[in-house]
Amino acid sequence: MDSDPDTNGAPEPQLSEDELRLSYLSLEDSRHVPQGVRLERNGSLPADFYDAREDIKPDDVEASPPRMVTGGREGSSKGKIGLIEGLEMDGEAPPSPSSSGYAGERGSSGGSSGTVEAADGGERVLHDDWDKGKQRIDEDDTSASWRKRKKHFFVLSHSGKPIFSRYGDEHKLAGFSATLQAIISFVENGGDRIKFVRAGRHQVVFLVKGPIYLVCISCTEEPYEALRGQLELLYGQILVILTKSIDRCFVKNPKFDMAPLLGGTDAVFSSLIHSFGWNPATFLHAYTCLPLAYSTRQAAVAILQDVADSGVLFAILMCRHKVVSLVGAQKASLHPDDMLLLSNFILSTESFRTSEAFSPICLPHYNSMAFLYAYVHYLDVDTYLALLSTNSEGFYHLKECRIQIESVLVKSNVLCEVQKSILDGGLHVEDLPVDSSLRSGLPCPHPSQGRAGPSSMSDIGGPAGLWHFIYRSINLDQYVSSEFSSPLNSSRLHKRLYRAYQKLYVSMHDRQIGPHKTQFRRDENYVLLCWITQDFELYAAFDPLADKALAIKTCNRVCQWVRDLENEIFLFGGSPFSW
Amino acid sequence: MASRRRMLLKVIILGDSGVGKTSLMNQYVNKKFSNQYKATIGADFLTKEIQFEDRLFTLQIWDTAGQERFQSLGVAFYRGADCCVLVYDVNVMKSFDNLNNWREEFLIQASPSDPENFPFVVLGNKIDIDGGNSRVVSEKKARAWCASKGNIPYFETSAKEGFNVEAAFQCIAKNALKNEPEEEIYLPDTIDVSSGGRQQGSPSGCEC
Ligand SMILES: Nc1nc2c(ncn2[C@@H]2O[C@H](COP(=O)(O)OP(=O)(O)OP(=O)(O)O)[C@@H](O)[C@H]2O)c(=O)[nH]1
Ligand SMILES: [Mg+2]
Repeated sequence: MDSDPDTNGAPEPQLSEDELRLSYLSLEDSRHVPQGVRLERNGSLPADFYDAREDIKPDDVEASPPRMVTGGREGSSKGKIGLIEGLEMDGEAPPSPSSSGYAGERGSSGGSSGTVEAADGGERVLHDDWDKGKQRIDEDDTSASWRKRKKHFFVLSHSGKPIFSRYGDEHKLAGFSATLQAIISFVENGGDRIKFVRAGRHQVVFLVKGPIYLVCISCTEEPYEALRGQLELLYGQILVILTKSIDRCFVKNPKFDMAPLLGGTDAVFSSLIHSFGWNPATFLHAYTCLPLAYSTRQAAVAILQDVADSGVLFAILMCRHKVVSLVGAQKASLHPDDMLLLSNFILSTESFRTSEAFSPICLPHYNSMAFLYAYVHYLDVDTYLALLSTNSEGFYHLKECRIQIESVLVKSNVLCEVQKSILDGGLHVEDLPVDSSLRSGLPCPHPSQGRAGPSSMSDIGGPAGLWHFIYRSINLDQYVSSEFSSPLNSSRLHKRLYRAYQKLYVSMHDRQIGPHKTQFRRDENYVLLCWITQDFELYAAFDPLADKALAIKTCNRVCQWVRDLENEIFLFGGSPFSW
Repeated sequence: MASRRRMLLKVIILGDSGVGKTSLMNQYVNKKFSNQYKATIGADFLTKEIQFEDRLFTLQIWDTAGQERFQSLGVAFYRGADCCVLVYDVNVMKSFDNLNNWREEFLIQASPSDPENFPFVVLGNKIDIDGGNSRVVSEKKARAWCASKGNIPYFETSAKEGFNVEAAFQCIAKNALKNEPEEEIYLPDTIDVSSGGRQQGSPSGCEC
């Protein structure tokens, strides 16, 4: 993937005027400062502004024949492409109603805006929709609605038996699943590995995990790395439920049909896939804390620490997907991805809400082969406690622990503080402390002192056109994200911003291009600024008309602000998070 | 776990090019037949839901290409099959002679755990042609071969007239099922904390 120097946002390793300006703002290494479309002095946009591409794209994105990329040895897989294309040529025959011909249909999804519109409707899932389990069970690969979906996820076995499909009934998709298996296994037999196929606007990403194959078909323009990361999480979620011991079943019996073992877990996967569009933890590999006064959080840590010393491996107190407090037994540490998968599992399993529960659970990064046993109990509608033990008979002990923890939490008022924090929300860009150079004299209230009254800026975000930011502390494996505010006030806009961050994340972490330290890009939607140091990563979105120098200055302020508040927005101590 | 779960059965159809594999499948799934020959490229996949003894099954049918150049696809297709259907044309001797090769190739590539008892079904197709006057393989000869290979069930079919097709696939489903191993309880490891619980799954591989 060569970067196109003309493309907006492409890294531009050339010293510029902006770079000189950057240096005084103490951005440490600004050798790669890519430039966005620059505003003219008179404030009008250059003519090519709206043509500015959003991202670096491979040169042959549109209307090119399907391109297969395998794990190297590109030359040797030539013949196979022919064969693979042959497989897809079923479209030549009169389409039989149950024949799988997804790829054969690629022409029809070429880019009529009608298609896009309709498909978006499917992706724009209402917030309380996903947790009801799988949608559109009646669809299969012959339905127009199914083909219009923007993003499919499939899991299948190495013999081509379907395990999971985001849309439609797995059994009705058995033919399609067989097609995927044939493609993957065929390349695999040649000692090669298929990574992705591009077909028009669609990208097909493959992930092979032993006998389990995962596939994403998407026309969302998310980068390959991001989609692959999502498949990794999907696989992780399978392990959470079944452990990697599942591989043995396939060794014993290649015909093994795994789908029944996942019975009743559709909601878990739907909710995870849904979170790819709203939860930055899915690509940041970090978790986030509920903002709380330092003393409140420490009180919660202390009581969890007590039970951890009594044979509980992990004690986790969470509010929705945010951590209130977390403690691990000696030397035990919890990977942020495991935490994401665990909390997704708990939040999407309805039965946990109705009564205390005890369930086997696997934390793939801790030990992918074995089950732990989780005691889960909701303390109120949003707040739940998960106690993990290695002992399959630990229920009564864990229950005792919970009773003890709960009484301390109630007595010390922690639960009330948690509820209060939910109401107050997290950081608001409008509250970013400013000085006169950024905006004329607004007071800069501390979030815990309550929000300032409506200001003249409140409907256009924070100072200097700041709309949103995410700050990720590298040492802590934690991030803090500002609340969404106007003009980012729909879930569609939130998702678009997260996808933009995700792209930024991928391009900043691309090893081939090298570790970028800063990146500035401007398109018709935002100015995006990313800054990475040894200690943190900052992602910020500004008004597309924002002034670059001011934006950079504002980023420095955000970092300072986060540092000032770190005792309230991050969890310190507890167990070491060294990975 | 729900006992009334639906099962998926993977069925592979093998045989020389032109013997009527695709036609049989089309007749079975879509109740259609065409005189026109369109060689299958690689493989084609069809699914059909069937009811058998009060339970619902999905047959995932892998219609493979008989042409030689596709035989390298091997393992990619055969792995994890529940049943293998061997088809020949009663009017073409060579297609019958080749059954043995198809069977052996399948057993090598798929390497099922119990090759002796792996469920095959043999179909002698195109019995309608010329009112049976052009046939060169007798039913007796075919049955003898099937008997010698561990009593493989045998059917004489016509994809064109839809003769015996339903019965043949009914038998295919039944045989695929018969071979289903007893369900085991799924039991992963438990962690022994004393030996430092946090270990990555050692890919020591084979447990059996
Ligand atoms: N008369 C008659 N013709 C048949 C019958 N079955 C198939 N045919 C014809 O035989 C030819 C080949 O049939 P196919 O089903 O395409 O053969 P195949 O085994 O799938 O061939 P490959 O895909 O090349 O492996 C076609 O012209 C069919 O119309 C049958 O039962 N009776
Ligand atoms: Mg055919």
